[in-house]
Amino acid sequence: MRALVAVAALLTASLPYHLAAQDAARVAEAQTVLAPLVESYGVSGAEGPVREAVQRLLPAWARSETDTAGNLWVRVGQGSPVVVVVAHLDEIGFRVTGIRDDGTLELENRGGFFPSLFEAKPALVHTDQGDVAGVFLPRDSGFTRRTPPPLRIDVGAGSRANAMARGVSPGATVTMPKQYVRLSGTRATGRSFDDRVGATAQLIALRRLDRAALKHQVIFIWSVREEIGLEGAEAAAAALGTTPRRVHAIDTFVSADSPLEPPNFAVAPIGRGAVARALDNSSITPPGYVDSLVRIARARGIALQVGTTNGGNDGSVFTPYGVVDVPIGWPLRYSHSPAEVIDLRDVVSLADMIRAVAETW
Amino acid sequence: MPSKSNRAVGRYGGKAVAVAVALLTALPAYPLAAQGDLDRLAIRFASMTAVTGLEQAMTDSLRALFPGSVRDRAGNVTLTLGQGSPKRLCTCPLDEVGYVVGNILPDGYLLLRRVGGGGRSASPLFDQQLEGHRVTVFGTRGAVPGVVAVKSTHLTRGRVATGGGAPDPVFTVDNAYVDVGATSAAEVQSLGITVLAPVSLAKRPQLYGERLLAAPAAGRRAACAALAAAVQAKPTVKGTVVVAFTVQSLYASDAGLASVKALLGPFDDVKTAVLPARYADTAVETVALADADRLVRDIAQWMEGR
Repeated sequence: MRALVAVAALLTASLPYHLAAQDAARVAEAQTVLAPLVESYGVSGAEGPVREAVQRLLPAWARSETDTAGNLWVRVGQGSPVVVVVAHLDEIGFRVTGIRDDGTLELENRGGFFPSLFEAKPALVHTDQGDVAGVFLPRDSGFTRRTPPPLRIDVGAGSRANAMARGVSPGATVTMPKQYVRLSGTRATGRSFDDRVGATAQLIALRRLDRAALKHQVIFIWSVREEIGLEGAEAAAAALGTTPRRVHAIDTFVSADSPLEPPNFAVAPIGRGAVARALDNSSITPPGYVDSLVRIARARGIALQVGTTNGGNDGSVFTPYGVVDVPIGWPLRYSHSPAEVIDLRDVVSLADMIRAVAETW
Repeated sequence: MPSKSNRAVGRYGGKAVAVAVALLTALPAYPLAAQGDLDRLAIRFASMTAVTGLEQAMTDSLRALFPGSVRDRAGNVTLTLGQGSPKRLCTCPLDEVGYVVGNILPDGYLLLRRVGGGGRSASPLFDQQLEGHRVTVFGTRGAVPGVVAVKSTHLTRGRVATGGGAPDPVFTVDNAYVDVGATSAAEVQSLGITVLAPVSLAKRPQLYGERLLAAPAAGRRAACAALAAAVQAKPTVKGTVVVAFTVQSLYASDAGLASVKALLGPFDDVKTAVLPARYADTAVETVALADADRLVRDIAQWMEGR
């Protein structure tokens, strides 16, 4: 593994990123796909708007289907061995669990994050009748701790009846307004890059795929409910059983590329390409498969880093069926915050890796 | 569709209000700013940033809004209505507690210094509102978006004890690393960012409920909007009224207001536009724009000497 890491380091070092005209066009393409996905809302279990956005962005030839779990599938090519690539549609957020007499809403978390990042910030309640604006209430005591008491929302209703008259009811999902914003150079910020970047890369790979080059079937899946326990992927894995040879989870590589993080691991700077997520909390990729990934990257001239980070990935639930999980990530700063930061060149690199894997492996 | 006066009575209720509204509409007319205009002004003002002592962008905007207004040597925007005596002052402070760039690191991150607070100390949670959120850096080449770094949730797992009594310190400005996407100090400078550039949370005012406006410093901005709307309504001013949108109210002394009094006073009476706010000093400080409607009328009547 050490030799492999050294190779990867050489690989990334030998591929300096100068933004040529071709690169600029690719970055622009990535942004065009990513921005509308980032600005769609889809808390785990309520991914409809994101799934619809993905469907709108599919190439015209693609035929998609939605399974009973809510996962979106696109099958390309024919024959064995079947390979699966999977990125998740959902994002972290909240769900309304109750409405108090004063019209404020009680919440439960959907996914893992720091609740302090939502305290005293604008809120959106996603109801069947549309989005209802409100605010996450600031705490009224306990200033000495970072973590607030359980969060509630004020939608300005004043009473339970008024809140319900606006369409709010238990079960509705809650987020905060979000926006895709370009930063300096090729960087951008927004919320839910995890995993809209993965979803975007799969779309771009499909658009650019040389279908005639495929030697076997590749199944592209956009999964649901990843953030609350890989539930959508579990359903897909059960449906496919032992059929697939490999699965590539296309998901965040949570990066320590920040002055706040210790550099013990997760060291994959943004802007230096996709990352072979060789070891995380849910899976370990067999070293030979990582080597193969590195060889493919080298053959295609794609920037690829190799690393280990925290978190789980959708591919891990395929492994009990004998399917090898070879996750490919992209480095992300400040994961699960309202201000995640990416480098768009990594989206391009990731899309190219997916395409290369589909066409050549 | 109810008439204007009926609608106003219905909103505010009560006999006294009905009489006041009747007087307002009967007296030499000035068109009260429409509710929509006030709402737009309040949202516009709440979208602006005016870190105390560094308010020029907002005062430029006010000067454009009020041709004939002047900026005094302290930075206040003043407008004189009417003439003769009595000579009175109607004011609203427009500044906010905010930040400036204190240092630019070689890797392109910015560090911050908090500015303002006046005589009171900031809430222990004031800085925490920055963490993991988008900010705007006001450079010499325009507004530059950035974010304040936050630890990644995933990477804290297994590293931070979460049991009872575990340390859980609030976030302070000393830990605020601003990421504008730059990879070097030179790139930061090319964006027009230098030490002392003002920084604030990205402002995206939120309307909710029945005309509730949530934003940082929403109370002050809606009060200034009410003062602006009252001026736009062209009241028949009794004597002279100096309208002052004042700066530096939140620094060591209330230097802006003091300057207005020293340069344009003395005044027979001083009125400050103020609105009640809930969730004060947070990013969702909330004002009821219905209260701002009342403040517009109140200011207009005061200007007319009624």
